[in-house]
Amino acid sequence: MLDAPLIGSYCPDDVLAWEPDGPRSAREFLSAVIILADGLPDRPSVLNLLTSRYEFLVGFAAAMLRRQVTLLPQSRAPETLRRIAVDQESCYCLTDRGEPVHDIPAVVLPARRGSVRPWNIPRIPLHQHVAIAFTSGSTGEPTPNLKTWDALVSVARATAKRLGVNAAGVKGVVATVPHQHMFGLEASVMLPVQQGLTMHAGRPLFPEDIRAALTESPQRSLLVTTPLHLRACLLAGVRLPPIGMILSATSTLTSALAREAEQRFHAPVHEIFGFAEAGSVASRRTVTDEDWRLLDGVALARNGSHAFIQTPYLPGPVPIPDRIAVTGRATFRVLGRAEDQVNIAGHRASLGDLTRQLLEVEGVHDGVFILPDGKEGSLSRLMALVVAPGKTQEDIQHALRRRLNPVFLPRPLVLLPRLPRNETGKLPREALRQLMERWKDESSHDV
Amino acid sequence: MTSQQLSAFELEIAKLIVLALKLKADPSFIEPEAVLFGDGLGLDSIDALELSLAIAQTYGYQLKSSDPEIKATFSSLRALARAIELHRTK
Repeated sequence: MLDAPLIGSYCPDDVLAWEPDGPRSAREFLSAVIILADGLPDRPSVLNLLTSRYEFLVGFAAAMLRRQVTLLPQSRAPETLRRIAVDQESCYCLTDRGEPVHDIPAVVLPARRGSVRPWNIPRIPLHQHVAIAFTSGSTGEPTPNLKTWDALVSVARATAKRLGVNAAGVKGVVATVPHQHMFGLEASVMLPVQQGLTMHAGRPLFPEDIRAALTESPQRSLLVTTPLHLRACLLAGVRLPPIGMILSATSTLTSALAREAEQRFHAPVHEIFGFAEAGSVASRRTVTDEDWRLLDGVALARNGSHAFIQTPYLPGPVPIPDRIAVTGRATFRVLGRAEDQVNIAGHRASLGDLTRQLLEVEGVHDGVFILPDGKEGSLSRLMALVVAPGKTQEDIQHALRRRLNPVFLPRPLVLLPRLPRNETGKLPREALRQLMERWKDESSHDV
Repeated sequence: MTSQQLSAFELEIAKLIVLALKLKADPSFIEPEAVLFGDGLGLDSIDALELSLAIAQTYGYQLKSSDPEIKATFSSLRALARAIELHRTK
């Protein structure tokens, strides 16, 4: 098999997606893709910033037909987009209202709709490079991770098989995660359209939005979400329509939260383990499994103390950014994050890289990003200690907002006359811990 | 700038924001008309979710993105307090 179909086995009039104004049939989708593909500029790559999950998919599919690579930035921070634009100098972007982003020429989706083309599902070569997921590299420059069509199709099929999506009679997918994020692309775009399901085009945020999206979707849909959204639905006391199953990722779900969600929503809660460099690689049903089970076709390899992911669809072994222990032939347990790595609301970064970006801010003489010890289950935010004479917190936050994914913005950012560096210039962990403790005590009267 | 500019209910909501989002700020110093998201207090969509949860739990008001007023509701402390006062069920 050297290629795979663009979409799964839909009949022409099956509902492929649900937009705010109503359904989009598979035939309408294919027509929209072909019309858009005809009108795309002749460039190698595209920054697809479309808000609607359906329109994003139309853009992604049209780009594939033109053999163009879709760029998935790790955030929309202006500096991130600018760096990608500089790196991918001949890209263009797809935006909601057609505004250019940092001088990158923009294309709007044609408004014309209708079923003008004969029914024919295109096939995409498996080896074709279809996307680049950017991760934050050690140099501060976004690091590109090339994704083949094979990788996206394989993960979508393996995930659907593991969850038993067909056996459970799931007909639709609602997702709270962004589709430009690797997990979102795999679970909320590729999975539904490869399985012939109805994809909800929205990105519900509040519990009430999630309820509304599930109401618009087929009965007993799959909810692709995160622990934060699940917790909000449970605590806000919202009554959700019947759900087929729940798939959570981006940060660790506690078994207590998973159990409560299973009881309240009468649906199994599964979790995905993955990272942008390799995509989804393992899953577990959180209430019963502590160990992660590798998806079909994925294997673990070890080299000394480092663990790697190996699959036929990745060009080589990919290091796992967490410390793990192998517990069986296809199972492992996560012990903790690798040194220096942080994961805030599903976005990974290295503290070293964030610190480098902080030091690039004008007027910053010295500084460091740290992750304070957080409580289990609650969202931890990063903290930054900064030496910047004459600058205010607002000046530095403003400059960081241009460079960083907002989830990494320090809260708090503390200005100090100097950092407790030792004679070799290092910042001893103990000195930082003491500084944090002192700062916490001094500021506790604020609230 | 000063606490006198905040009504008693606005101060109550300011305290809720600071507590729910673990901000290290004095509630009485949140400017009633300043933007809450983006450059103002620098809040993001995760904060919006956390805040909506605190509002639902405390006042029984479930925020909706489809509400045409939602942008205005989140535009400032004053607007948020007004919306909660209008829609609260407890």
